[in-house]
Amino acid sequence: MNDMRQFERDVKMTNTKITARSVNVHYGDTHAIKDVDVDIADKTVTAFIGPSGCGKSTFLRCLNRMNDTIDICRVTGLINLDGKDINHKSVDPVQLRAQVGMVFQKPNPFPKSIYDNIAYGPRIHGLARSKADLDVIVEKSLRRGAIWEEVKDRLDQPGTGLSGGQQQRLCIARAVATEPEVLLMDEPCSALDPIATAQVEELIDELRQEYSVVIVTHSMQQAARVSQKTAFFHLGHLVEFNDTDQIFTNPQDSRTESYITGKIG
Amino acid sequence: MTTLPFLLLILAVIVGYVLNRVAAKTIRDGGNRLHSMTSYHGMFSALLILVPVLTFILLWLVLRGPVIDGMVMGGLPDGVLVDLDSGGVQLVLAEIKSVSRGQVFGTPEDWKIAAADRFVILHQRADWLLIAAVAAISLLLMGFARSRVTADFRARQGVEGIVSGLMIFCSTVAIFTTIGIIVSLTYETFRFLEAVPLTDFLFGVNWEPQIPLREDQIAAEGAFGWLPVFLGTIVITVVALVVAVPIGLFSAIYLNEFAPRKLRSVVKPVLEILAGVPTVVYGFFAILVVAPAIRSLGQSIGLDVAPNTALAAGGVMGIMLIPFISSFADDALSAVPQTLRDGALGLGATRGEMMTTVLFPAALPGIVGGVLLAVSRAIGETMIVVMAAGLIAKLTINPLDSVTTVTVQIVTLLIGDTSFDNPKTLAAFALGMMLFLVTLMINIFALRIVRKYREAYD
Ligand SMILES: Nc1ncnc2c1ncn2[C@@H]1O[C@H](COP(=O)(O)OP(=O)(O)OP(=O)(O)O)[C@@H](O)[C@H]1O
Ligand SMILES: [Mg+2]
Repeated sequence: MNDMRQFERDVKMTNTKITARSVNVHYGDTHAIKDVDVDIADKTVTAFIGPSGCGKSTFLRCLNRMNDTIDICRVTGLINLDGKDINHKSVDPVQLRAQVGMVFQKPNPFPKSIYDNIAYGPRIHGLARSKADLDVIVEKSLRRGAIWEEVKDRLDQPGTGLSGGQQQRLCIARAVATEPEVLLMDEPCSALDPIATAQVEELIDELRQEYSVVIVTHSMQQAARVSQKTAFFHLGHLVEFNDTDQIFTNPQDSRTESYITGKIG
Repeated sequence: MTTLPFLLLILAVIVGYVLNRVAAKTIRDGGNRLHSMTSYHGMFSALLILVPVLTFILLWLVLRGPVIDGMVMGGLPDGVLVDLDSGGVQLVLAEIKSVSRGQVFGTPEDWKIAAADRFVILHQRADWLLIAAVAAISLLLMGFARSRVTADFRARQGVEGIVSGLMIFCSTVAIFTTIGIIVSLTYETFRFLEAVPLTDFLFGVNWEPQIPLREDQIAAEGAFGWLPVFLGTIVITVVALVVAVPIGLFSAIYLNEFAPRKLRSVVKPVLEILAGVPTVVYGFFAILVVAPAIRSLGQSIGLDVAPNTALAAGGVMGIMLIPFISSFADDALSAVPQTLRDGALGLGATRGEMMTTVLFPAALPGIVGGVLLAVSRAIGETMIVVMAAGLIAKLTINPLDSVTTVTVQIVTLLIGDTSFDNPKTLAAFALGMMLFLVTLMINIFALRIVRKYREAYD
C-alpha cells in the first residue's frame, strides 16, 4: 500500500506540466506575487487556496498570459510549459491560450446562441472540418460540461438566457471544446448551487484523466475533495505546496494551519 | 415691481419649510416616533407652496398684458374705432401704450390720453393685486401644510408625489413640443397641397419654385417636384456617410482596443474637438480648400467637375460626422463587460477576432445609434451645403455635379420678404414634412434591424 503511493507520486513528479521559477507580478506599484516557485503536474488537479487578495487569480492568469491584456501588469520570472518558456517572444499568446484554457469566476457566456458559444473556440482554431464535425464537438463538450440534457433542445437560444449555474457549466464546456492541455479554473463554483457544484467537481475529476487542472477555490472542502495537490498563497507568497492530504492533515507552516482552521482569511 | 411677488414667494417657501420642520422636530422631541424625517416635513410645506404659487405668478404675468389691453380698448368712447380694420385697431393700441410710457408724438386726442392714464392705473392695480394674491395664497397653503404635521403624517410620500408629478410634467414637455411641431407642419402642408397637387409634388422631376409676385407679372408658373431636391440630399448624405462611417468606426475600434493609452488620451479629445467646430467653419474649409482641390484633381485626369460639387460638401460633412460615430461606437464598445473580452481572449481569440466576433455584435445597438444620429445630422445639415454644394436642383446622382438639398431649399424659400399664403413659401413646410417623415422612417427601420441582429449581454 505504502509502496503503491510512493510509486504514484514518483510518476507524477516526472510528468511535470508547468514549472514556475521566481515569478513576480507587479500591478503598477502593487507587488502582487512575490518569488513564487511551483511545479504543476500533468493529469492532476492542483488547488490554489488562500485569503482574498493574496494573488491566486493573478498567478493563475500568469499561466496562460492573460495578464498581458492588463496594461499596468508586469510579470517577471520563468514559466515553462512542457519545458518551453511561455513568455519567450517566439511563443504566440493566442496559441498558448488555446493550449491552456481558462474558466472565469463570473460566468461569461457570449451573447450568442448556446451552440455558437461552444463552437466559438473550435471555429477560431479550425478544429472542425465540417458542420457535422462541429455538431459532434458541441455535443461532446456539452456532455462533458454536464449540461447537455438541459440544453439539447434549445441550442439556438442565447447562452445568456441560462441560469447562473448553467452559464458556468456552459463556460466550462466552452473551454473544454478547444481541447486544451491545461485547464485553469478561477473559483468556478462560486455561483453554483450544491448540486451543480457536485456536477462540476465530478467533471473536474473526469478531466484529470486527460488534462492538468488548476483550480482556485475558497472552499477548503472543495480543495480537499477534488485536488491531489494544494498550494497555499498568503500576501503574494506561496507559503506551502504539497499533497492535498498533507496540507489538510499535517500543515508544515503555521500560517497554513491557521488558515485551514479558520483563524486567518 | 415684478420681482416683489417672487421675493415674497421665496420668503413664504423658506418660512413654510422652517415652520413645518420645527413643528415636526417638536413632536419628535416630545417622544413620538415620526413617520417621516423632519426635513421631509419641511420639504412638503416648501413644495406645496412653491409649485402652485409659482404657476399662479407665471400665469398672471402671461395673461396680464392681453387682459389689460382688452379692458383699455373696451373702455374707449363709442365710435372712435368704428371705421378701423384690425390693423388700425392695433395701431391705436400701440399709440396708447407709447403715450402711457410718456413718448408723445404730435398731439394725441384727449380720449387717447385718458386711455393711456387708464392703462397705467390698471397696470399698477394689477401689480398690487398680484402681490396681495401671492401673499394670501402662500399664507393659506402654509397654514394648510402646517396643519398636516402629525407624528404619522406621511410627508415623505407627499414630497415624492409632488416631485414625481414635476418629473412627469417635464418629460411630457418634449412630447407636446413634438406633437405641436407635427400639427403645425401638417396644417401648412395641407395648405400647400391645396395649391399644388400631391402627385406633382411627390413625383415631379422639376424644382423651380418661382411664382408671379404680382398679377400682371410674366413669370414661370413654377414647378414643385421634390424628387431632384431629395435626390440631392441623398447623394450628399451617402457621400458623407461613406467618409464618416468607416473612418469613425475604425478609429473607435483602434482607440478602444489597440491604441496605447497615451495615444488614446491625446486622440480622443482631439476627435471631440472636431464635433465642436461650427458648421460655417466647415463650410469655409469646403469652398476654399476641398472644392478647388477636387476640381483641379478632376480636371487633371480629364473629368468634368463643377465648381460646387456634392463630393466637396458631402466629404466635408463626413469629416464633421466622424466624432459622432467614433464617440458613440467607442462608448458602446467600452460598455461591453471586461468579462466577455477575457472570455474570448481566454479561448485563444486574437484581439481582432475578439473585436469582430464578440465586441462588435454586442456593441451593435450603440454603434447603429451613432450612425443614425450621423444620418439625421447629414440630412438636416444646411450650412455646409449652402456654401459648398450650390442651389440648382438637378436630377442627378453624379457626386461631381452641383446639387442642392431639401434643407437648403427650405432656407432659400423662406429668405427675404415672404407672405405665407402662396405655394412658394408653403412648399418649405411640405419639404420639412417630407424630411421629417423620411428621418422617422429611417429611425424605425434601423431600430428593427438592430433588434433583429443585436446580441444582448445581460
Ligand atoms: N487589474 C488589477 N489592477 C491592479 N491591481 C490588481 C489587479 N488585479 C489584482 N490586483 C491586485 O493584486 C492583488 C492580488 O489580487 P488577486 O485578484 O490575484 O487576488 P485573489 O487571491 O484572486 O483574491 P480573491 O480570492 O478575492 O479572488 C490584490 O492586492 C489586488 O488588489
Ligand atoms: Mg480571484
